[in-house]
Amino acid sequence: MSDLALHIPTDVVNGPTSLAFALLAAIAVGACVVKARRHLDERLVPLAGLATAFIFAAQMLNFPIAAVVSGHLLGGALAAALLGPWLGALCVTVVIVIQALLFADGAVTALGLNVVNMAVIASFAGYGVILLALKVLPRTRWGLGAAVFAASVVSVVAASAGFVLQFWLGGEEVGQSFGELAAAILGTHVLVGIGEGVITAGAVTAVAAVRPDLVHALRGSRLAQPAKETV
Amino acid sequence: MKTKRLWTTGVVVTLILAGFVSLFASASPDGLESVLLTGCETTDGEITGGTCVLQAAGDHEIGGAFADYGISFLDNEILGASLAGIIGVILTLAVATGFFWLLARGKKKEHA
Repeated sequence: MSDLALHIPTDVVNGPTSLAFALLAAIAVGACVVKARRHLDERLVPLAGLATAFIFAAQMLNFPIAAVVSGHLLGGALAAALLGPWLGALCVTVVIVIQALLFADGAVTALGLNVVNMAVIASFAGYGVILLALKVLPRTRWGLGAAVFAASVVSVVAASAGFVLQFWLGGEEVGQSFGELAAAILGTHVLVGIGEGVITAGAVTAVAAVRPDLVHALRGSRLAQPAKETV
Repeated sequence: MKTKRLWTTGVVVTLILAGFVSLFASASPDGLESVLLTGCETTDGEITGGTCVLQAAGDHEIGGAFADYGISFLDNEILGASLAGIIGVILTLAVATGFFWLLARGKKKEHA
């Protein structure tokens, strides 16, 4: 098992690139702390903690996407939909740090790379798509579900594009050309994103059905209830 | 639904996911690993031949008792995997809640 770790492992991306992204991650996380704090209500704290623990658990649940390939939730779109992109990115960052320090999942030297991809890029890309999609889709359970699904797919592919960029800057291609690797990474993560989309849409619409006020992306509005639906 | 009840339900679901459902998760390499493994042959998760990007990957810097979501000092792998998941969830919940509480606490002063 030890050869296969999730997330970017040790020495796949070189030192200078890892360091540059560590600085970038530190700046981004610092900005998230400042912005998240402004809107953080004390009553929201236990739920933000729960969302973080849920993402940790969900990242353990690899689902098959092809014969010998699996995917797991990144959680950026979920956290951003429920808590907004700033606090959402912090949730995923906490998960990635715990995984790297205690579970040997993702290299310590790759923390910056992984935080930029899975926490920062995924949360903000996901949130942007939800807001855009909710402008055109109806504010019903299905509309929200479709928006969150699309946001999840985009967030995962965008995060994997972050890796492609990092690998282009500081990786060494072996056994396949950079183009082949990039196409394979992006293509595989469309499938991972579809899995993520199904789980995330289910989770967010479930919360929206009982407590729409806890779905940040709805910005305080309730879902329109079709006449027949009883939730 | 009351926030407290929602929270409790969420924690129970999360513990079940990490402590039990995770035992049935796919053991295949994930999207990133599988691409980085292109060109290599693997048996039971160990690289056995060929050339691929992941061969350059070193061992994890820390490793530790919970490496790869198991518990190294437990002989029972299933129990270890289940407990590692449960410990991870409790730890993540504690760290995240503590961190966000500190953030929110600083803000309270501005309101007062």
